[in-house]
Amino acid sequence: MSAIVALSPPPALAPAPGKRAVLTVKGLSAGYGPMRVIHDLDLIVSSGERLGLVGLNGHGKSTLFYAIAGLTGWQRGSILLNGVEVGRTRSQGPGRYTHTVVRQGLALIPQGDEIFHGLTVEEHLDSGAFTPRAWKERKARKERIYAIFPPLVKLMKTPVGRLSGGERRMVSIGRGLMADASLFLVDEPTLGLAPKIGKSVLDALMSVELEDSAMVIAEQNVALLEGRVDRVIGMHAGKLKGEASAALGFQTRREL
Amino acid sequence: MDIGFIVSNAVVLACIYGTLAIGLSITWSSVGLINLAYGFIFALSGYGAWLASQYVTANGIVVLGAGVLTGALGGMLVCALAFIPIHDKPNFTVRGLIATLAISLVGTQALLWFFGPRAKNLPEIFGFWKVHLGGIILTSDKIGNVVTSIAVVTAVLLWMRSSRRGLEIRAMMMNPHAASIVGIGVRKTGFYVMAITGGLAGLAAVLLSQTYYISPFGGLTPMIKGVSIALCGGLGSVRGAVIAAIVLGLNEALTSRLLGGQYVLITQFVLIIVILLIRPRGIAGMLDRAREA
Amino acid sequence: MAGAWRNPLYLWDVEGAEEEIPATPYASPQRVWDEARESKTPMLPVGRLRYYYKWPGHGGALWSRLRYWPTRRRVLNIRGEYNPKTLRREKTIVDKRPIWWALGLLAFMLAPLIMPGGYQNTLLAAGATFSIYAAINLCWMLIIGTAGIYSLASYAVVGAAAFGVSWMSIHLGLPWWALPFVGAGLGLVFGVIIAIPAIRLDGFYYALLTIGLNELCRVYTLQSKQFGSSTGGLYGADSYVPDSWDPFDQQLLSYYACFGLLLLALALYRIIDGRRLGRILKMAPEKREAFAEATGVDYRRARVWVFVVSSVGLGFIGGFYASHYRGVSFSIFGFDTVLLGLAMLVIGGIGRAEGAVVGTAIVIFLDKVMISTGPLRLVLIGLIMLAVVLLLKGGLFGIKAQFRAWRDKKKSERRSIRSEKGGEMLPEEAAETKDKDVLYWRRYDKMQRDFLKTLVSEEVIEEHRKQPLGQHSEPLERLLLYFRRQPLGDKYAITVVQPFKAYRIVAMSGQRGVAPRIVEDKIYASQNEAYHGVFLRRVQDLLES
Repeated sequence: MSAIVALSPPPALAPAPGKRAVLTVKGLSAGYGPMRVIHDLDLIVSSGERLGLVGLNGHGKSTLFYAIAGLTGWQRGSILLNGVEVGRTRSQGPGRYTHTVVRQGLALIPQGDEIFHGLTVEEHLDSGAFTPRAWKERKARKERIYAIFPPLVKLMKTPVGRLSGGERRMVSIGRGLMADASLFLVDEPTLGLAPKIGKSVLDALMSVELEDSAMVIAEQNVALLEGRVDRVIGMHAGKLKGEASAALGFQTRREL
Repeated sequence: MDIGFIVSNAVVLACIYGTLAIGLSITWSSVGLINLAYGFIFALSGYGAWLASQYVTANGIVVLGAGVLTGALGGMLVCALAFIPIHDKPNFTVRGLIATLAISLVGTQALLWFFGPRAKNLPEIFGFWKVHLGGIILTSDKIGNVVTSIAVVTAVLLWMRSSRRGLEIRAMMMNPHAASIVGIGVRKTGFYVMAITGGLAGLAAVLLSQTYYISPFGGLTPMIKGVSIALCGGLGSVRGAVIAAIVLGLNEALTSRLLGGQYVLITQFVLIIVILLIRPRGIAGMLDRAREA
Repeated sequence: MAGAWRNPLYLWDVEGAEEEIPATPYASPQRVWDEARESKTPMLPVGRLRYYYKWPGHGGALWSRLRYWPTRRRVLNIRGEYNPKTLRREKTIVDKRPIWWALGLLAFMLAPLIMPGGYQNTLLAAGATFSIYAAINLCWMLIIGTAGIYSLASYAVVGAAAFGVSWMSIHLGLPWWALPFVGAGLGLVFGVIIAIPAIRLDGFYYALLTIGLNELCRVYTLQSKQFGSSTGGLYGADSYVPDSWDPFDQQLLSYYACFGLLLLALALYRIIDGRRLGRILKMAPEKREAFAEATGVDYRRARVWVFVVSSVGLGFIGGFYASHYRGVSFSIFGFDTVLLGLAMLVIGGIGRAEGAVVGTAIVIFLDKVMISTGPLRLVLIGLIMLAVVLLLKGGLFGIKAQFRAWRDKKKSERRSIRSEKGGEMLPEEAAETKDKDVLYWRRYDKMQRDFLKTLVSEEVIEEHRKQPLGQHSEPLERLLLYFRRQPLGDKYAITVVQPFKAYRIVAMSGQRGVAPRIVEDKIYASQNEAYHGVFLRRVQDLLES
């Protein structure tokens, strides 16, 4: 099917009317070693949008995020972040350019707890504020994070290594939100959390005012995203499959 | 008098070797490199300070500054040669270790070639004065050494605790992968780290040259002492290095008092081996295996 | 042909046939096919298979194979097979290294015969030194490569044994033939002492500790009067070289004695690395120890065993060293000696015997031949070592494997570029239908429609309007053929509302017994008009698809 589709002109990649394209991915392939996880993927995320990315384990959600951050084994294709090309064809050195991509305005909140276990919660949040502006405003920003995650106020001086799973996730997300980012990539925010805590974490994510930025949430549990995001895209075998506005519920559109 | 002399000597040496050990420790835990070119950086900065004292001025602060600066440059050189090209390649730790050894071989031989085998000595940077303290005569260089090394190490540690770069370095020490996700450049931070630790080596070189001479191979013994202290304290732990420096300094003083000077190294290694057999990762050794995975 | 079509029926005065009508120029359907089949990505070469020389004869002959006595091991790893084309029996030497080894050792043995007279002394002495260092490095390679213990104290073991036996020879009058064996005993004691921390310590802690131990030995011997702190070493041990011989014979004897030592070391390496202990350790490579342990491999024990056995070997070499040089100097404990030794291992490639020997040869050559350049030669050695570490994964002997890995990586990259589009089926497509025929039919149909779209033009429609039936121009004929060939489902048809007066277009259901459905309300006055209506609809559908 897609070989046939590929011959017809590709669907126009354009942001929603009146919005700016925060992220434009064109023809992205990525993988690790001999394995190709993402196949020729096109995606556009416009400003002020909350996008849900759903799909099963191992279908490339995290790899897509890692590819945007330059952390995959190899990748090819164009990635425009705020109009700046950050994707490069490379076959080694995962993570070598990640910090430059991050400085273009990306906040990746990775799956699992990529935390610095010896730093305190406060220092942790500081470490998220990497641009000079964010660093200067870090007090105000921290206040904002504490407003979103009230339990963190009490833990300000505790080393992160001692926190529980839910608290760590809050710290991890809080660190991402500290940034001056225009694109938030949230990878499985509810993974491994009790349903109730997962829901509250997701609610906190929803309460972030996006303004000009955008947020992509990868999630396996479609029901959790129902009605909370503007758009849901399914991901299957390294490709985007079907799309629906969240109000309609998720359904695959059959192509051809 | 005798005991006081030995103890004060031990304290001075412990301070200087502790500085080296802390430098090694920070290097290992933040960039994952065992910098065995440290002896070379040490000798290099000694020569840098010597050049400054010969051709610029014999002012103590300038000489000290020149030593620290040369050390920082040497650290960055090692970083550029042994860290940048291979830090994301497989088997980095072993290859980094061998690369630093090669740099050490090349560097010391180059120093020998440039400056010749004759030892150089530096001017007394702390002047000539003495303090009598309860029957112990403390000379200016002893007090100067202790105060300077403690002050600088404390300043570096405070800087790492409070500043943004320090936060970046500490973050990278704990989780390099997550560090790159929050926008910390591994290579840039590597240069910072190596410059700082090189500067510490330079400081130690200038301070030690108040007691010993500067020679191309003069960095070896201090490096081995620094390595022993870092090992004993646990690689990566600043607190452990401080404790180990005190313990080993005490051991040195006691052994030379009770058994004689030539047994110092033997007792020292027996002590280190015993400590490592009990706690394989040193006194305050990291018990987690963060760096190993 | 361009722009016009001549009706062949015109000459036969067929009704309605015009002599010449405008038509679109001929376009080859091949073009669309080629375009669709063609991959836009460059067809990069993806390499070839490895080349092996094929020897004639029966390589699989089990009965007449040469074997190492007393093992059942073959001298050469030969694979035999039938050539699938000629059906002749042929054999391939899979591993040619034994041949190279034999040739190299033979050359080394015969080298004194062809040495130029002027350099004979230097070369014989250098050869002896090379053999001793190669033997030491082979034992060290066992520790670093096979056992994976990063010990930098091998020269310390050699030195300690050498100092011990020299002292015994001088003070207790030990004869030369006893020195290596006493040295082996000393090596055992030292090895066990050094091995104790290796049980608990991790790799780099141990490396740093052994550097310290090396320094400890140096400082201790340097300071003690018994070991000749005043003379720069301990000399005067009994030597295996009889003093009564003339100097050339003495040198020749020491050359071959050292060669014998090298052969012994090689045998030790082969026995340990190639047999049970080595295999156990190969099952537990770095970072997979936990897995090996879980499957019941006691790798710690094997490591310590290898370490102790190599230490015995090192002690033996130390005893030999003392009797060869009639003593030993402090420089054997020096940091530079360790560095040079490590340079030998690293340049050759860690983990292989040939690496240790060839690396030793290179470094000894640079060290002895360029002795006049002073420190510069060590700088050169250091630079080579640095370059090898930074650029090569496994030293000089790893170049082949590294190059192959690099080439394979490039190959697979190129393969992935090749198969990006057009080539084979994408995985998701394959998941959609089990019937690959359908898949290829769809692809073909798509191409056909793409071509037919280019044929639709005003002229064709005008021609059909004038004369829906009969002989048509080539493009129109192609279109009509395609339309006629469509499956019956949703195919347009004409139904008669009133004969010769009213016709209307319907669409077939494609199922027996189900009536066609009406497509539009329009009533056509004549059959030809209705034909044309159907044609227009089909063209429209074609253009939309």
